[in-house]
Amino acid sequence: MARVVKEDKRGKWSSDLVLDLYSNLLQEIWELVSALIGEAILAFLVTLAVRKLGEKYPFLNSIAVSEDGISLDEMKEDCRTVAPVEIHRGFQSLINHLSHLFSVLAEGVINKELFPKVFPKVKEAERIISPK
Amino acid sequence: MRLIFKNLNVLRSTINAISTSIEIKEIVESAGNNLPNLFDFSSFGVFWKEDLLLFLYQEESCPPSFTQEVVNNMVKVFSILGEESVDADRIVLHTEKRKLRPKQMIMDPKAALKSYLTLPLAVEGEILGCISLNSDQSNAFDAQDLQFFSVIGYQMAATLRHFQRFSSVKNMAIYDTLTGLHNRRYFEEKLEVEAQKCFCSNTPLSLVMVDIDFFKKVNDTFGHTEGDQVLCKVSSLLKTSVRKKDIVARYGGEEFILILPEARLEESFVIAERIRRLVENTLFEVGKAQVNLTLSMGISNFPSHRAKSKEELTEMADQALYDAKRGGRNRVCIFTGKFAREAVPT
Repeated sequence: MARVVKEDKRGKWSSDLVLDLYSNLLQEIWELVSALIGEAILAFLVTLAVRKLGEKYPFLNSIAVSEDGISLDEMKEDCRTVAPVEIHRGFQSLINHLSHLFSVLAEGVINKELFPKVFPKVKEAERIISPK
Repeated sequence: MRLIFKNLNVLRSTINAISTSIEIKEIVESAGNNLPNLFDFSSFGVFWKEDLLLFLYQEESCPPSFTQEVVNNMVKVFSILGEESVDADRIVLHTEKRKLRPKQMIMDPKAALKSYLTLPLAVEGEILGCISLNSDQSNAFDAQDLQFFSVIGYQMAATLRHFQRFSSVKNMAIYDTLTGLHNRRYFEEKLEVEAQKCFCSNTPLSLVMVDIDFFKKVNDTFGHTEGDQVLCKVSSLLKTSVRKKDIVARYGGEEFILILPEARLEESFVIAERIRRLVENTLFEVGKAQVNLTLSMGISNFPSHRAKSKEELTEMADQALYDAKRGGRNRVCIFTGKFAREAVPT
């Protein structure tokens, strides 16, 4: 069950809440895409995407990826000092890059399935978290 | 529903055919033979990174331009996935054309690649290559095609990984790890086969036993690491100096042996002399120094020396080598029975 993301008392988003939001999103992407291309290939692609973006967003390197799925548990500790907006940007880039890899592999076949179900939530997350 | 069951059955038999294949070509053929029952496609490709092999299994009427587009696209996708650029010119292309479509649906000579599915052959986080389904029709593949194709890809990756491991174990069993030449075990097996062949058909067979003169001095003076480099260099010279059908093996230490199938005594002497001269005229870089090295060689031949077994033929070559050493080294000796006849180096 997805946790509801709320603003804290100071009207700012805490890193934990942003992580929860993207953890749920990545979970949905995992479930949908692994059903199409299998866990092994998806794990390979997520690892590839993380490696690509890890230099720019070092906190992404603590995403644990295996054929069992994606876990952000280890990341929470590492992200305490990272601004929520930066976390949001990192995950946004990750999802965009994954989407790019999906289209490299199968043109629109994966994204056609993914967009209606997951990308509205990505947009929603962007709307909520992005600084006004 | 019935169609899904039918497709699942085809998928099952495809996977079974792939998993029971033992060679890469067989794996590709097993998949290629079954895929037309699952998908409408113009071309099915398998790229195997290790040997830069690209197998294409495609519709008979596929024009060359379409084939090239498929190759380019697979290389492009693999380069993105493998994070390494692949030189398309170095790829060894194997194309197999089959009648995949009815006559009225043959491909246009100007057909272009309109849709594709390409998946990495990924096992344990490592990419071994990729597979690709290609079509000259727009939107030829849907989500279900992708699901089925990914199951096939998964099985192919697993089978290819087994194949890779099997090959590496096989390589360890037949190659010398230092020099990359065949090892003694392989030599024994190959000699058995070659000897059997020539004893039955009375065709000639020569053995050349080779030893680096004073090699111990190299090790003692420059150390074993440099000594190993010399062994590698000599191995490389031996390998490039023989005919395609000849076998070069490391017999042990600084000793090598050559099997020269169908080589008469005169021919084998010419080959051995060529090698001897080549090594004599080569300056070997050993550490910061340059040194000259020489080889001693002994030749035995069937039927000239009337050997009755492969063991006897090997002993004769060894005896001739011994005589080359005793005669002053840097020479090729031919077995002559009790006393080896020395051939004076030119």
